[in-house]
Amino acid sequence: MFDPFVLAIIVIAVLSLGGLTVGLAVMCGSFLYMILKGYDPSLATESMVQGLYNGYTLLAIPLFILAADIMNVGSLSDRLMRFAQALVGRFRGGLGYVDIVASIIFSGMSGSAVADAVGMGRITINMMMKSGKYTAAYAGAIVAATATIGPIIPPSIPMVLYALISDTSIGYLFAAGVIPGFLMALTMAVVNYVQAVRRDYPIDDTVPLREIPKLTFEALPALMMPVILLGGIYGGVMSPTEAAAVAALYALIVSVVVYRSVNLSQFYHALLNSARSTAAVGVLIAGALTFDYVIAREQVAVSLSVWVEGMGLGPMGFLVVVNLLLLGLGCILDAGAILLIVVPLLVPIAAALGIDLVHFGVIVVVNAMIGLITPPYGLLLFIVANITKEPVSRIVMETIPFLIALIVALAIITFWPDMVLWLPRQLDYQG
Amino acid sequence: MKSLISSATWLRARAENLVALLLFSMFASFLLQILFRYLLGWSVGWTVEWVAIAWLWGILFGFAFVVRETDVIRMDILYVALSRRWQRICDVVTGLLCAAIFIWTLPASWDYVTFMGREKTAFMRWPFDLVFSVYIAFAVSVIVRSLYTAWLGFTGAQPTHVTEAIPEIDDHV
Repeated sequence: MFDPFVLAIIVIAVLSLGGLTVGLAVMCGSFLYMILKGYDPSLATESMVQGLYNGYTLLAIPLFILAADIMNVGSLSDRLMRFAQALVGRFRGGLGYVDIVASIIFSGMSGSAVADAVGMGRITINMMMKSGKYTAAYAGAIVAATATIGPIIPPSIPMVLYALISDTSIGYLFAAGVIPGFLMALTMAVVNYVQAVRRDYPIDDTVPLREIPKLTFEALPALMMPVILLGGIYGGVMSPTEAAAVAALYALIVSVVVYRSVNLSQFYHALLNSARSTAAVGVLIAGALTFDYVIAREQVAVSLSVWVEGMGLGPMGFLVVVNLLLLGLGCILDAGAILLIVVPLLVPIAAALGIDLVHFGVIVVVNAMIGLITPPYGLLLFIVANITKEPVSRIVMETIPFLIALIVALAIITFWPDMVLWLPRQLDYQG
Repeated sequence: MKSLISSATWLRARAENLVALLLFSMFASFLLQILFRYLLGWSVGWTVEWVAIAWLWGILFGFAFVVRETDVIRMDILYVALSRRWQRICDVVTGLLCAAIFIWTLPASWDYVTFMGREKTAFMRWPFDLVFSVYIAFAVSVIVRSLYTAWLGFTGAQPTHVTEAIPEIDDHV
């Protein structure tokens, strides 16, 4: 007869593949485990409702979503694009760099790759397709690839999820993402350079240098967002959760007062959209909280740690295995499911092997983001396919060089912890 | 039947108003908290409590009554590749299994929620059975929806959830 834990995992897999929401499938598996073990199933219910009720840091999630939704309704994104165009549009393949720079700036305001692709991405793709020199597939590929930076450079919703399951500080995690985010951008700029030369992409209409101050001034309120957000958190003024609320307020004020581009009905729709997204990710978190109880009860982490230590991999060997595992899972699993269901099993092992958990967090979040552009299941691929009206397969072909670039960045991030941890250490991180 | 559908639409619109309001109240409470705590130097407790309640309710109530079948996160790479016949079989199996598990655990969860009525929240002194009662609404909604999915699969009335090419609403990660 099957072990109840194994059976629970099988039920989760079968229900998810059968089309049930992942969060509900995980709840069902956890409940089934409790029933088969003869435990009181309400312990799993308790783990869920208490976990949500006491998960104060998680509250940053709906607020970051709201901030991104407000920015996407308003014209903030347009202004940022014009600013980025003035800065880097003058090179060969300029619109590619514009997308990269705009993604970096947008990353400092939103914590979500999807928000990046839907907001900035839509504009970049339209510009690239209008110019007629870039293929729609290339436009889609570069937008999908650069959107992965969104949750690496703070703020970051996936890092809030990781902080929840690993008990690490959100502030240090955010700081640890900054340099890796820029590194990823750099590797993708290299790809854009190579492709631009190889395919003779155009030098776009350049914005005269004298217009830069004016465009900077126009974009300034948007550019101030990361400064306020990060300054608030690292200056010790606010908690990350409160900073998320301030970010949403700031986006609202800038959009309504300065750019005059959001009306009441648009605000209501941004609220409703954010509430829907919150409920969708919230149920996944709720499922993970019930599963958490099962994992703790089964002492899965202990047996896994013993097993991994028995293999004698060492920390670096373990990280290589984790990277391969997560990249593989990223092809078929949603990023949220990876972070909330798979990663909790890996964190105790990493801790036992003496791997810094902030460094580990950056590694797993980068993996989860790369998973967003790996077929067959890559959320960002679907989004850009929808915007460009190109078949996913053609976009996938164009994505491959960017994917290689991101994997190179991932390898550097993995094997050079000091680079990742440099900034947190400047902020008094002891690790 | 028509009036049933229109009243369902009406109820759904009110549920949407409610979750949008919950999120707005969460947002506003945070801003008040920052104002009180950092600018005025007052200590406040109720805002922390209210945002936690709004978050819990926003998720469970929102999932139960506002989130549409196309909004949710699912791994449907296999499901969409199946023939209609196998999709229907999947719907029946997942629907019945999910409903059965939630029905089985409902009495224990009910006991837990009512038991929590003895405790009150720290600042607003709300009984916890009131706060956690949304779980019961959530569980009942899951059961009803799962049975409905199974029924549609059984009768073959219509495809229940073919995810559109673009998830406009998603988990934002």
